[in-house]
Amino acid sequence: MTIQNVIEMRKVEKIYNQGLQSEIKVLKDIDLKIKEGEIVAIMGPSGSGKTTLLDIMGCLMKPTSGEVLIDGREIEKMDDDELAHIRGSKLGFIFQQYNLINTFTALENVEFAIRINGKSKDEARRRAVKLLKLVGLEYRLNNKPGQLSGGEQQRVAVARALANNPKVILGDELTGNLDTKTGEMIINLIKDLNKRKGYTIVIVTHDHYIGKQAERIIKLKDGEIIK
Amino acid sequence: MLDIAFKNIFRQRMRTFLTVLGIVIGIAAIIALGSISEGMNVMMQQNLEIIAGRIMVFEGEGSEGLTGLMSGFMTSKITDDHIAILKDVSGVKEVVPLVFYMGGGGTMFSANWQGIGIEPAKLNYFKGEKVYMHDGRELEEGDRGVVVIGKGVSDTYELVLGDYFTILDEDFEIIGIIERSDVQDIDSGVFVPLDDMLDVLNTDTYQLAYVIPEDLTEVELVAEWIEEADDDLYTISSIDIARQTSAIIGQIGIFTIGVGSIAAFVGGLGVMNTMIMAVMERRKEIGVMKAIGATNNAVLKQFLTESVMISFVGGVLGIILGLFGSFLLTLAFGGMMQMVVSPTLALGALIFAIVLGFIGGLYPSRSAAKLDPVDALRYE
Repeated sequence: MTIQNVIEMRKVEKIYNQGLQSEIKVLKDIDLKIKEGEIVAIMGPSGSGKTTLLDIMGCLMKPTSGEVLIDGREIEKMDDDELAHIRGSKLGFIFQQYNLINTFTALENVEFAIRINGKSKDEARRRAVKLLKLVGLEYRLNNKPGQLSGGEQQRVAVARALANNPKVILGDELTGNLDTKTGEMIINLIKDLNKRKGYTIVIVTHDHYIGKQAERIIKLKDGEIIK
Repeated sequence: MLDIAFKNIFRQRMRTFLTVLGIVIGIAAIIALGSISEGMNVMMQQNLEIIAGRIMVFEGEGSEGLTGLMSGFMTSKITDDHIAILKDVSGVKEVVPLVFYMGGGGTMFSANWQGIGIEPAKLNYFKGEKVYMHDGRELEEGDRGVVVIGKGVSDTYELVLGDYFTILDEDFEIIGIIERSDVQDIDSGVFVPLDDMLDVLNTDTYQLAYVIPEDLTEVELVAEWIEEADDDLYTISSIDIARQTSAIIGQIGIFTIGVGSIAAFVGGLGVMNTMIMAVMERRKEIGVMKAIGATNNAVLKQFLTESVMISFVGGVLGIILGLFGSFLLTLAFGGMMQMVVSPTLALGALIFAIVLGFIGGLYPSRSAAKLDPVDALRYE
């Protein structure tokens, strides 16, 4: 068993509008392995397919062909519910625009992610408080996103990504909306989580500073891994 | 997840309020309008009680049921010869000739009082044995120049024992007041000895005779024998009237509740519209829900819960408003009829509201559940 590879891709292809004149091959023949506990950055110019690659890793879409294994489980044959279950249990997402629910407080945002995966309200509350403490927001529990700074909102998003104790945290340009200093703080937070808790981190970015913080960079160009 | 649904529907307070209002109006209409036919039903039951087991006999061409009843009161002329024939029909226990005189006042639906000429000793055949006197005594054999009145009449005209009641310039001393009764004919009745009534109206015929059969289970058979005994007479039994009135009340019920249901259905379209808007606005959020592990079914449930919650709240408030409406209708009918909201009507309306929310929410919730997570997440 090679469970050490939390994400594994073999000959993965993604084609949009297949069979139409507008057909476009976004990913070509992707082979990659991401080991448990690694910090990996996926870099490349826009249109190189890095977001699509992250979406496939995140089980948000299936590849057109090829194999994808998340924590040893093949996803191509899974139905919507199984994919949702993998997303809820193995993966945590952090988005560029935070994507918090504006009418919920910080605490409720994290709680919601736990409850959606079937936990009771009380259990979710206890865990959410713990996670928000972990990201340093214990004094902001009952503030809504509108009352939080960008950096604070992204920290709530980090706590939410950890809601169900995932194997992998997937970040999509997660510092893109933040100033350099706040961005660094978020990156340090994530590196710290990696070090202390062993989460595997995969970040899509075009920011070279962030790229340098990763242990490994996967460079994409025109849908192919070039390095 | 009810608390989350509750929080979510209050994101757009005004919109939710208006949507709930749409359901409230529809459900209130069902309750208020439905209470009319239910009230009629109760009134019919009460009126049937006094004529139960009695055969109403009229003179004339006659026709079935209610039409016969109406024309009977206008044109029927029963003579003493007819009464004699009735008494001879086998199975007949008692014959009670009656003369009616419509009094004044009241609404267009009902007079404040109604004079009823009856043989003094037979008053109980009209009002029933279980209706007692509020004050004074009943009519007795040989009484002349006196009346017994219903409580409604005594209240309306502030009359007490010993006062005089005037019918067509003739004064009658009030010797008894009957206790309050739900039956309009008793409550608004002024019971006059038959001979006095004939004198006052200057007539010697009766509009109606009650025939009491010896065996109450043979009402229909005795009625048949009466019609065979004299071609001039026709009968209407309580069963005929019950059958006809419930058919009419049933139709009124279908019509009134139908009108209310259309209003509620429009409210249901409002719920659908609101939910479609909500799904559009919260597209990105649906993407996030899916990214953090929500199954399609969980998304479906979330939105369906919200729409049913809206319609449930609308249903409950609608019932409250409807009860108030039915109370106003009772006032508007001037006490002639009591509107009734049965638990069945209320529960039925509430279930209808919930079903509307469910159906209205189904399409938007399904489209939310089917959203592609990537499209939803990247939606701007």
